[in-house]
Amino acid sequence: MEFKVALGPQHPALHEPISLRMTLEGEIIRDADLKLGYNHRGIEKLAESRTFIQNLYLTERICGICSFSHQTCYTQGVEKLMELVPARRGLYIRTLICELERVHSHLLWLGVAGQEAGFESFFMYTWRDREVVMDILDWITGNRVHYSMNTFGGVRRDIDELQKKKILDTLGLLKTRTEYYLNIGASEPTFANRLAGVGKLSKEKAIALCAVGPTLRASGVPMDVRKDDPYAVYDEIPFEVATADSCDVLGRAVVRVKELLESYKIIEFLLKNLPEGPFKVKAPRKVKENEVYSRYEAPRGENVHYIKSNGSDKPERLKVRAPTLANYAATIAMLKNGFIADIPLIFAAIDPCICCAERLVQLDNPRSGESKVLSFSQLRAMANDRYKKINFKKKDSAWPF
Amino acid sequence: MNAETIVEKINSAIRDKIQEIALTAPRRVQLKVAREQLNAVLTYLKEQFGFTHVGTISGVDLGENFEVVYHMSNDIATVNVRILTPRSEPKIPSICAVIPGAILYERELQDMFGLVVENIPDPRPLLLADDWPAGQYPLRKDWHYERPAEIIPGGE
Amino acid sequence: MAILKPLLYILVYPGLIFLLVYSTFCEWFDRKLYARMQNRIGPLHTGRSGILQPVADIIKLFAKEDIVPEKADKHMFSALPVFSLAIVCTAALYLPVWHYSEAPSFNSFSGDLIVLFYLLSLPTLIFFLAGWHSTNFFSAIGGVRVLTMFFGYEIPMLLALLSPAVLADSWRILEIARFYQNRPLLMLVNIIGFFIAVIALQAKLERVPFDIPHAETEIVGGQFTEYSGKKLAFFRLLGDIEMVVGAGLIAAVFMGGFPGGLLPGLAWFILKTLFIIFLLTAMRAALSRIRIDQMINFSWRWLAPLAVLQLFIVIIIKGMEL
Repeated sequence: MEFKVALGPQHPALHEPISLRMTLEGEIIRDADLKLGYNHRGIEKLAESRTFIQNLYLTERICGICSFSHQTCYTQGVEKLMELVPARRGLYIRTLICELERVHSHLLWLGVAGQEAGFESFFMYTWRDREVVMDILDWITGNRVHYSMNTFGGVRRDIDELQKKKILDTLGLLKTRTEYYLNIGASEPTFANRLAGVGKLSKEKAIALCAVGPTLRASGVPMDVRKDDPYAVYDEIPFEVATADSCDVLGRAVVRVKELLESYKIIEFLLKNLPEGPFKVKAPRKVKENEVYSRYEAPRGENVHYIKSNGSDKPERLKVRAPTLANYAATIAMLKNGFIADIPLIFAAIDPCICCAERLVQLDNPRSGESKVLSFSQLRAMANDRYKKINFKKKDSAWPF
Repeated sequence: MNAETIVEKINSAIRDKIQEIALTAPRRVQLKVAREQLNAVLTYLKEQFGFTHVGTISGVDLGENFEVVYHMSNDIATVNVRILTPRSEPKIPSICAVIPGAILYERELQDMFGLVVENIPDPRPLLLADDWPAGQYPLRKDWHYERPAEIIPGGE
Repeated sequence: MAILKPLLYILVYPGLIFLLVYSTFCEWFDRKLYARMQNRIGPLHTGRSGILQPVADIIKLFAKEDIVPEKADKHMFSALPVFSLAIVCTAALYLPVWHYSEAPSFNSFSGDLIVLFYLLSLPTLIFFLAGWHSTNFFSAIGGVRVLTMFFGYEIPMLLALLSPAVLADSWRILEIARFYQNRPLLMLVNIIGFFIAVIALQAKLERVPFDIPHAETEIVGGQFTEYSGKKLAFFRLLGDIEMVVGAGLIAAVFMGGFPGGLLPGLAWFILKTLFIIFLLTAMRAALSRIRIDQMINFSWRWLAPLAVLQLFIVIIIKGMEL
């Protein structure tokens, strides 16, 4: 028997609103479809009416986890438009925060994977360690989530010797913990069996569907913007691109843990080779008429900003493509012929970050497959009507009886 | 192989199919082609240099025309292939036959700019609400958002 | 006096009042232990070290709005939680605490092991019916998963419980317990069966790694998706009491019961059930949820053959002894 189920826009496994429509046959998924737009905020349109400096803080608010990715991607694009060479110390600090953000994002993902698989202890442990990174970020930037560190020509704050020392000290702790997680992921049989062989994506399909980031690297394609198209100071840093050949969720987890270990090395390198000098240079206000295509390796994959300027202090066009959008096509391919039990895992394996505004609510009758569209005002009227119909007992009731 | 050799090879092999080519920044190649030649050029890029990854497809409203930029990447360089399409007849060919992963970007273009993508495998709206009025394309320069007056049913 | 004793037995100990108090305590114990194993603190503010938190949770649920879905079968939907709670409370009466008469009575007779086992498997059926009558997709999937899993763990558990009974040559829990009290070394013979029974009990209680029927990230609340307010509170109480009764059954059959009269018996009961709950909590903290097909595979590939092996061992030992 085939029947249709709509997972989301509100579902415990989805941390942000997106609608997954599944055609199921028993416990097996036969067809899958995505519906986006529940969180579309019109940032690209908004950016056209803001100045370049205002957009610096707007782009940061595209995402709550990889806020620095979007801001850096935008900043280095605009710097190229301004033909500005940023301060070297500034670039080192920028790269440092990029890597710290990657560490925090990957630890977060490991926790989410644990939770989706039903492994609560793993979730608690990784999120405890994530707090360590969050504290470092808080200490050197002043904020836990939206760091606001970038400015055209460098960064806004310097770091001192004490901060350097503290970061190096905590890295050792994080390294031992990460190795422990790698060990758990590989040896704990219930967890490894849940991840292995789930959400297969062959190398050819991953390339054809333009997947990015750990999703692509776990299918054996060593694509990493930090290597292919180095930005900031990545061309000076020795590091390896982590890949896996297993093409499944376990591979994606392994890639992320390996990247964590690489990130620790990069952070160590950056702190030990931090050049002296100014951490920012003065930037012009106006931008020449030009265009730039800026790429950035966010924790979730390749992040892309296309900026076109028209000679004024506002951009003509800012196009943002977050890594999650690039991975949706691959997700649908991965979901087909999987189990219901694997939906949250497969979906979580691309590390979805649904940055897309509430304008309506769609109600689905999954029995008949009919859809009914209600506007927000209609829905509110319905709720009010229903509320009036309920007979409340008029007497005052005291808590709890 | 680097970006310079890619420019040279394109210049020597498919000079007749392209309109302009330039190396604007390190690892960035700008390529302008006619609408009709788009799929042929992309196929050539894919088979010759391994440009299999489309970063995104950006649409820009230039007033008279729409500019559509296909950002193709491989492990060496990025080629920005651009086409122009007139506002009176906003049609672009679908590239899904060459690069299947471009489907979501093409659907986004249809939503946001009102471009008609010919031969698109899946023409449903992607981002906009289901009760979005027809003929409204938010990212066109002449589209402005006006917040509707908020009416609370039954309220004061 | 003849009436008073059964009445006390049903209402106070080990009946309703004791069960309610002790099962909420066990939930607190489980939650606190689980939290400490995960580097958390757990319940803290209600009562001393949060010991009243489970009670507060249940009172809160009783005060909440009680919603019945429009298309659901209202009578069935409302009756199921009450029935299931009644069933597990009845099952608790068959635990061999306090009564010491050799003569069979209303709660201790030859074959009460099977009765208790049967009563403990009824809530599973009720979970399925609850899921089915909710008319929700997630509930229906949850209900079907409950039944699928039932076929996986029920037979290994029954086989595991059989072997101590075969060795003790009795179907009466009291006599089985007394047999092992007299010969404690023979308890070691049943060690495989003991672990099978603990694993099967974990599956029966639908806790990690067997929380497949109400796996939150997959099918929301499973069979409980549509339940709220009082009815959900009943189901929660049911889970706690089932845990105590299940742990009591394993303690009575495998660990020599609760000897020594009223107070030492109570102490033994608490000690032994808490030990089993500790094992269950450790299992919950150390493992990840498995898929339904992996669960069935696991129980038929490992649990059932091991249970049969345990039965063979017992038969051989019995043959040597006699």
